[in-house]
Amino acid sequence: MSAPKNPADKHAASNGSSAKVPPAAAVVPPAPAAPAKPAPKPKVEIKEPVFNPAYKGALLTHDRYWPTQRWKAPWSLRSYRRGALALGALLLGAFGLTAAVGELAPWGALLQSAVSGLLSSSFAASGVWILLKVLVVLHIILVAPIFLVWWERKISAHIQSRLGPMTVGGWHGWLQTVADGIKLLFKEDITPIAADRWVHRLAPVIVVIPAILAFAPISFGRELAAADIDVGVLYIFAVAGVSVIGIVMAGWASGNKYSLLGGLRSAAQLVSYELPRSFSIVPVLMFAGSLNLTRIADSQAGYWFGVIPRWYIFYPVVGQISFLIFLIASVAETNRVPFDIPEAESELVAGFHTEFSGMKFSLFFLAEYAYVLLASCLTAAFFMGGGGSPLPWAPWTWIPSWAWFLAKTLGIVFCFLWFRWTFPRFRVDRLMDFNWKFLLPWSFVNIALASIYLLI
Amino acid sequence: MSAPLVTRQDEFLKTDELFINLGPQHPSTHGVLRVGLTVKGEVIVKAVPDVGYLHRGTEKLSEVRGYHHCVVLTDRWDYVAAMPNNLVFCLAAEKLMNLQVPERANYLRTIMCELNRIASHLLFFGTYGIDIGAFTPFLYAFREREMVLDLFEMACGARLTYNYIRLGGVMSDITPEWTSKTREFLDYFKARLEEYDSLLTYNPIFQDRTKTVGLVSADQAIAWGLSGPNLRASGVDYDARKFEPYAAYDKVRFEVPLGKGGSCFDRYFCRVREMGESVRIVEQCLDQMKEGEFMAKGVAKVPKPQPGEAYAHVEGARGNLGIYLVSDGGQSPYRMHVRAPSFINLAILQEILEGKKVADVIAILGSIDIVLGEVDR
Amino acid sequence: MNAEELLSRLGAQFAGIEKTSVAVKDYPTVRLSDPSALGAVFSWLKKQGFEYLDMITAVDYKGPVSPKGYVMDPNPNAFLPEGATPQVEAPTATPGFPYREAIELVYCASHLKGKLKLFLKVELPRQNPSAPSLAGLFKTADWQEREVFDLLGVRFEGHPNLTKILTPDFIQGHPLRKDYEHVPDRFDR
Repeated sequence: MSAPKNPADKHAASNGSSAKVPPAAAVVPPAPAAPAKPAPKPKVEIKEPVFNPAYKGALLTHDRYWPTQRWKAPWSLRSYRRGALALGALLLGAFGLTAAVGELAPWGALLQSAVSGLLSSSFAASGVWILLKVLVVLHIILVAPIFLVWWERKISAHIQSRLGPMTVGGWHGWLQTVADGIKLLFKEDITPIAADRWVHRLAPVIVVIPAILAFAPISFGRELAAADIDVGVLYIFAVAGVSVIGIVMAGWASGNKYSLLGGLRSAAQLVSYELPRSFSIVPVLMFAGSLNLTRIADSQAGYWFGVIPRWYIFYPVVGQISFLIFLIASVAETNRVPFDIPEAESELVAGFHTEFSGMKFSLFFLAEYAYVLLASCLTAAFFMGGGGSPLPWAPWTWIPSWAWFLAKTLGIVFCFLWFRWTFPRFRVDRLMDFNWKFLLPWSFVNIALASIYLLI
Repeated sequence: MSAPLVTRQDEFLKTDELFINLGPQHPSTHGVLRVGLTVKGEVIVKAVPDVGYLHRGTEKLSEVRGYHHCVVLTDRWDYVAAMPNNLVFCLAAEKLMNLQVPERANYLRTIMCELNRIASHLLFFGTYGIDIGAFTPFLYAFREREMVLDLFEMACGARLTYNYIRLGGVMSDITPEWTSKTREFLDYFKARLEEYDSLLTYNPIFQDRTKTVGLVSADQAIAWGLSGPNLRASGVDYDARKFEPYAAYDKVRFEVPLGKGGSCFDRYFCRVREMGESVRIVEQCLDQMKEGEFMAKGVAKVPKPQPGEAYAHVEGARGNLGIYLVSDGGQSPYRMHVRAPSFINLAILQEILEGKKVADVIAILGSIDIVLGEVDR
Repeated sequence: MNAEELLSRLGAQFAGIEKTSVAVKDYPTVRLSDPSALGAVFSWLKKQGFEYLDMITAVDYKGPVSPKGYVMDPNPNAFLPEGATPQVEAPTATPGFPYREAIELVYCASHLKGKLKLFLKVELPRQNPSAPSLAGLFKTADWQEREVFDLLGVRFEGHPNLTKILTPDFIQGHPLRKDYEHVPDRFDR
């Protein structure tokens, strides 16, 4: 292959093997080296290719994957019917399980009395009880992303007409996130040379810790709040705002100007969108008359005309505007599409968490999903009566409050995940315009409407 | 010794122009293209596209290959929509050889080119969505594109580089099964087009990002030699299928979508509407096609056309694809030049990007819809 | 207007225009004898409505291409067994074809409304070929002239940026010329 091949060489070689010159005696002078007429080229038969007639014009195996059948007559497909049955069985199983477990608050009271019975000093007893509550809340937040990430991957896959994780853990890949977490643990922790080492180490921590702290006053059902603070709402928003510093630190500590700009843009976005988020809650606080999350949830008990629950989302205009503004601002707060400029484009590179690998990256990831969960829990608590059953009759009331809270939260989380895979991305300046020129004025109008409402 | 003892603070903060390389590897799936951007803050001062990373010298290669072998080379230019490439070369060579193509072959050529236009515009739709930030339409577009590629595999055995349109006709005939599968696909696809509209076209975020950027006036478009949907989005009605109808285009009725403003959104919209028109063309061809020969008789195994020159142009998926063929009577073309639409469309990037923000570069580049195989040949 | 009218008007306007003997099939083709008149001809054409410059290309009429140094294997069909006769032989000169030491520039302009294409040819000597650039008149000429320069070595006077566009920087010479010999570089085995 190194020297250009010459066809003449090939023919000369084959000539030598099938030479037509008869072996002459040594007496006869040999024939001239180059024969006058070139020897005839060997006849190489070129066979016409024969195609397998069975395949002629047939579509080999792909016919099965054409979606036309699923589009025209979905219920004729066996997989469709089986999927519907499985979903129904799952929902029924969940219903039965939660109804069997019942309310969790009595178990909590039992545990608390057991602890105070075991320990003589009430100070030690309350200390241990607080520790237990912290552990429970911490585990909720650490375990939730395992489910949420899997769910996001499944939802995104099915929206995009593909399947998502299917192998790890057997049934539809439900252990995929665990495997990914283990992988991230094993990854090499790279710190860029130009980075500020301590800031680089602290940034993920400062982003994650407020996310965990903010879950303290949320009541996960009836009497299931870890810390029943009277200024719960204020506490949550204040603590969540601390993460912004972490993001700026992350951008700074990466040591490259694109990440810095990405971090600053993200910080600007987060700080701006905190305003409509807080102002859209003000009508809810006005109606409930308290900043305590448990009391806000309880003030939504009861039914109009015996059918419609008194959730704030159902209040004629004010409730819907508040809900929408809160939802949109929360999506922006958690840096998700359509507001994910800092992660996606940012001067053509990845963003403030480019230079973080391994566990540090997984902490950012965890923080994002923790904030998504927080926003969903808040939405459920403020607007959907956190824990209250939507209808006052028999099978619905068997489901305990924590299951209802979970269902509402997961519904809002589904909305978050849904938006990510449906909408294109905003451009940076349009994002800011949207906030300052649209969301914020409407949240003020909303407060005015709510006050008119209260006067009537 | 000569370094100053005290350095001023703002000597470190260089606020003048910054040179950024976009590519040759970048997330937008356009191929190996490098655009050197000189940026001042957010605003682009100068943009220099650098092509040639995929130059394979097909024009030189064609000078040592026979005419039938050159058809294989043509597949590799616009590899996303390869049928029009084959077609344009065959048209030019048939002009040189004075070869008449049977009617059924013309209909088949039209059907394949239009199906390929659908496949190519689906790819554009998907990748443009990703450029703008919507990830889902990409997978929907590729689900439909898989169906088109399955149809091509059924007809000629290949999914990307078909080599189906040959000198004198097409490679092989289609079966009634293929026709029924194509009709099934077309029925399904018409519903999908409405879905795509609701996903991206009428989405306010998408419109907001594309309606005001990348404006190209009609004079500018003509001066820069744009063709295809890029030109038609600025309002200039130039379509090779209507300019000089070839294959079976004079026997079918279809419209050519025109845009008004020449923005990125108009270019996108023209392509999406063209998909609908292609569906109409394929349906009419399937209805009108009669039984007959699919390949002309008497095409030599090693053609040696008379000395002469010919030019043929078709409406490829990217624009007006032309071939200028010179024959000296030998077995290989003496000179083949490809008038590549992507190459000529790309040149406008130098002018159009000046003064724009960095965030708009990807949107504008995506809307011109280039394929590097055609840019570099 | 149609083809004959256009040709007669062109011939009346400019002295150096004549109808060429070798026409591009089915299209009106003219030959310009003086390269320096290109700018004037095209600005007149542009005023007549030929605003769309389709193509600028060039053909080297030296002789059949010499595959020496750039074609490694003359048998381009991988399915033929070893020792088989190649289906297409190396290009040889056809007797009677006017090979000459010239590079011919070919321009194509379109009249979009009138559905007319006009081909214009200009012959340049093969040593140091140069022609005036149309980049001032038609912006599309910018890259196409760069390509012709890169691949065939024709210098365009007045071009804003006449540099290599398609071939890599280490390729010396102009590849599309018929006597191009490839200088082995670090990518050749």
